[in-house]
Amino acid sequence: MGSISTVRGKGRGKALEIGVVLGMMLLLVLVFGLPAWAQTKTLNLSMLAGFKEDVLRANLPEFEKKTGIKVAVDAAPLGELYKKQLLALSTGARYDVLFMDEPWIPALSEFLSPLDERAKGLDMQDFIPTTVAAGAFQGKQYALPVDPNVQILIYRKDLFAQKGLKPPATWEELLKIGKGMHDPAKPQYGFVLTASNDIQTINYMLLVMWSYGAEIVDSRMRGALNSEAGKKGGEVFLELVNLAPPAVKTYTFADVNKAIQLGQAVMGIQWASGAKPMEDKTRSEVAGKLGYAVPPKGTRVTPMRGVWNIAIAKSSPNQDAAWEFAKWLSSREFGLASTRYPSAISAIHSPRVSVLTDPGTQEALPYAGVLLESLRVAKERPRLKEYADIQESLRVIAGKLTAGELNLNAALQEMDAATNKMLVK
Amino acid sequence: MRTRKLLTVLALIPALAWTLFPLLWILTASFKTELSLYAKPPQWIFSPILENYKRVLFNIPFFEYLTNSLLIATGTTLGSLVLGTLAAYGFSRTRFWGSQALRFLILVTRMVPRMTLVVPYYLMMLKIGMLDTYTGLIIAYISFAMPFSIWLLIGFFDDVPLEVEEAALVDGCTPVGTLVRVVIPIAAPGLAVAAIFAFLVSWNEFLFALILSGVHSKTLPVVIAGLTTDLGPLYGEMSAAAVMVMLPNVLMTLVLQRYVVKGLTLGAVKG
Amino acid sequence: MGSVQSRRWFLVPGVIFLLAIDMVPLVYSLWVSFYEWWLVRPRDIRFLGLGNYLMLAADPAFRRSVLVTCTLTFGAVLAEFLAGLALALLFAQPFRFLRPVRAVIMMPLFVVPVVGATMWRLILHPEMGVLNFYLGLLGLGNPQWLADSTMAMFALILVDAWRTIPFMFLVILAGLETLPAELYEAARVDGASWLQAFRFITVPLLAYIMLVAVLIRGMDVFREFDIVFVLTGGGPGTATETIQMLNYRVFGLGHMGQANAIGIITLILVALMCYLLIRVVQRSR
Repeated sequence: MGSISTVRGKGRGKALEIGVVLGMMLLLVLVFGLPAWAQTKTLNLSMLAGFKEDVLRANLPEFEKKTGIKVAVDAAPLGELYKKQLLALSTGARYDVLFMDEPWIPALSEFLSPLDERAKGLDMQDFIPTTVAAGAFQGKQYALPVDPNVQILIYRKDLFAQKGLKPPATWEELLKIGKGMHDPAKPQYGFVLTASNDIQTINYMLLVMWSYGAEIVDSRMRGALNSEAGKKGGEVFLELVNLAPPAVKTYTFADVNKAIQLGQAVMGIQWASGAKPMEDKTRSEVAGKLGYAVPPKGTRVTPMRGVWNIAIAKSSPNQDAAWEFAKWLSSREFGLASTRYPSAISAIHSPRVSVLTDPGTQEALPYAGVLLESLRVAKERPRLKEYADIQESLRVIAGKLTAGELNLNAALQEMDAATNKMLVK
Repeated sequence: MRTRKLLTVLALIPALAWTLFPLLWILTASFKTELSLYAKPPQWIFSPILENYKRVLFNIPFFEYLTNSLLIATGTTLGSLVLGTLAAYGFSRTRFWGSQALRFLILVTRMVPRMTLVVPYYLMMLKIGMLDTYTGLIIAYISFAMPFSIWLLIGFFDDVPLEVEEAALVDGCTPVGTLVRVVIPIAAPGLAVAAIFAFLVSWNEFLFALILSGVHSKTLPVVIAGLTTDLGPLYGEMSAAAVMVMLPNVLMTLVLQRYVVKGLTLGAVKG
Repeated sequence: MGSVQSRRWFLVPGVIFLLAIDMVPLVYSLWVSFYEWWLVRPRDIRFLGLGNYLMLAADPAFRRSVLVTCTLTFGAVLAEFLAGLALALLFAQPFRFLRPVRAVIMMPLFVVPVVGATMWRLILHPEMGVLNFYLGLLGLGNPQWLADSTMAMFALILVDAWRTIPFMFLVILAGLETLPAELYEAARVDGASWLQAFRFITVPLLAYIMLVAVLIRGMDVFREFDIVFVLTGGGPGTATETIQMLNYRVFGLGHMGQANAIGIITLILVALMCYLLIRVVQRSR
């Protein structure tokens, strides 16, 4: 039958057609496959995306001109940066230099080059001492500080002036002032913080608990939040939540800023990195009306420290070039340029005393003095490889506490249990 | 007919309101300052600023990322269409022992969370040196888009009567020729949907782009996610970026739309 | 018939590609899930057998997340299917003014999910969001969208539906467009009502397409992460903590063994869901 033989004869033609189609497709795919091989004096930098990236990119050409070293910036969003760095470093690093947050340093330390020897030739005394400690782990220095951050108290100095008040030095004073100025009808709230399952909630809670003397782990590496001090701190924390806007249970870092910027909160505690937009007229109705102070104490002053550092990967083939970059990023020149970067949103602060006390800086950043003061007394989170895990558990438990799923005692017990579970392993 | 038209229009109103409200919100937000974004009552008429667009376009290498996204999405669409069409045609026109199981097996990748697949994929690409390349991402995205394409196209190909193909074969067409010249035009709506879907999968994907891309192949979703800073989302910039990112999609859909509504050619069967 | 058998070879390129790309990572995932492997201590890898799985099965947080995920999946897919079907039927009518409107309806699909969720978060914000402002004007109260456990789940379904109803709409519409008009003509001549035509012509012929749409969407919602992460972060408390939120947490801390175990469990659950769905549709044919 004609049709069958035609089909058979066409069989070979068909195979050819398929071959051509596949070949074209393969070609198409390969054409788009442009591998990324850029070695030779180019540093791969893992960076935090956003406005810190902007500041860096703006100043990078100067570094490249001065040293002839090119820097390729690979930026990732805040929530993903740790993951990306951990993955890359533990499987055979693609990065030469990394911009990393201090709690990650213990965990990532075994992939980083110790900098003690090299740091000997550096003017380390210009750095605020605790910022240098942020890059150290078990006696070795793994990173240089670049962008220090710390919790500070922000308050409406215009409203305080009206009533002849001074910024509160203790939590009791703060609660009293806050209650006095608390007027939901306006709306005007005495205080603002976060009470959601956001990471900031546990940071606030720790701030208060620490200030009454509690610790996350005691000297025997056991969870120690469920103590007298911890309970007192927890109670004060919950009182603060009552002074906040009703939607505080959904608040994040940004919402704290909003509440202050829209004039709804009389006082608040925020990281210094959030302070700059509060002074920008296009974003803040209270620009110029804000005062800054070190956070109040319970029995001691314990604002939480958070320093961003620059580290060098142990597996990088460009150790010297990487050190040049690390030096530059933590240098006075870069610090002066970055604190004056004309952005309404943020700057990269500098860990150097000389930069923060410079009059130009004080003018660009009204809170620079308080930043310095707070940093000097700042408290660090436990330097443990397991800390990221502990923090995650604490975050969830704090969220459950504020959502009403747990009462304070149960929450504190769970926190210690979670800490112990992580440390026993 | 008139009442039908009227009822249709009436039914359209809530549908359009629902769809357009957030889109208009995003559009206006891209031209607003942050402060005016929170204003009550919400301002729909205001004096626009271009700051957000300027910041997105000039502070970061936006066009570079746009190009990356475009190339990767195009590669994905072409690749998954070609491979998917071939495979779907094969499934539609044969039944052999295990073909049902195979069809189900193909779906398996859509059953595993992306997070779970990303690390082995990362390691694979690391070993063969395709990290931070277009090809690496294209291959991944094709594997995401294909299962849906195949299943969808099987349905459309099933609906093409065998007689039409037989007729073509008798006229001297090769099997591939039949596929291309007869079957595909009839199943065009399905192909258009598969193409749109593949493009979107690649265009909007975040996790694999984040982990697998580096300096050279970064795509737009990663950049946009970076606009959620520790200060919270930069709504203005994010909206501006979102608007610009939407445009290629809108264009592509306008082009492919014509094929979704195709005339019916079943007349060929009766002839 | 010789020609039909030769069609079998069309399968080869696509299937080989998928199996190569997908099976290798899958097997690797399965293998890792039997170990304890923490990226922070790369030399400290221990074999656990089913240890990770047993730990997860005993964990109340994980069990709860399965429930939350199933609720979300069911709610979202149902809402999207019904709305998508309604829209598709609406647009299947031969009115010319529908053409350009169709492109508009599809637009939510083009918004990057993270951006869509972020804007919705702003819209739904109890104080600064516009939705509550308008609801207040209409006298409909001030729902605490993201602060209340049930409302938070509802908000998730709302946002996911907004983004992907166009998908259902597109797929079903494409199917409707290929239905032969002659059948409907014949039905009308026979005196059948619109509803009867729908039940006896549209539904059976479109069953496959609708199944594919529901299946794909179900699998995607079950694995959904971006929207939950941006909109509620698993909150309030742990009310909307889905399986993928847990996965993200564990994965982000570098616990590869546990993360992969969660992934494999997800695979099993989704496969189960698909299988049941396919059987239900096949039985009704």
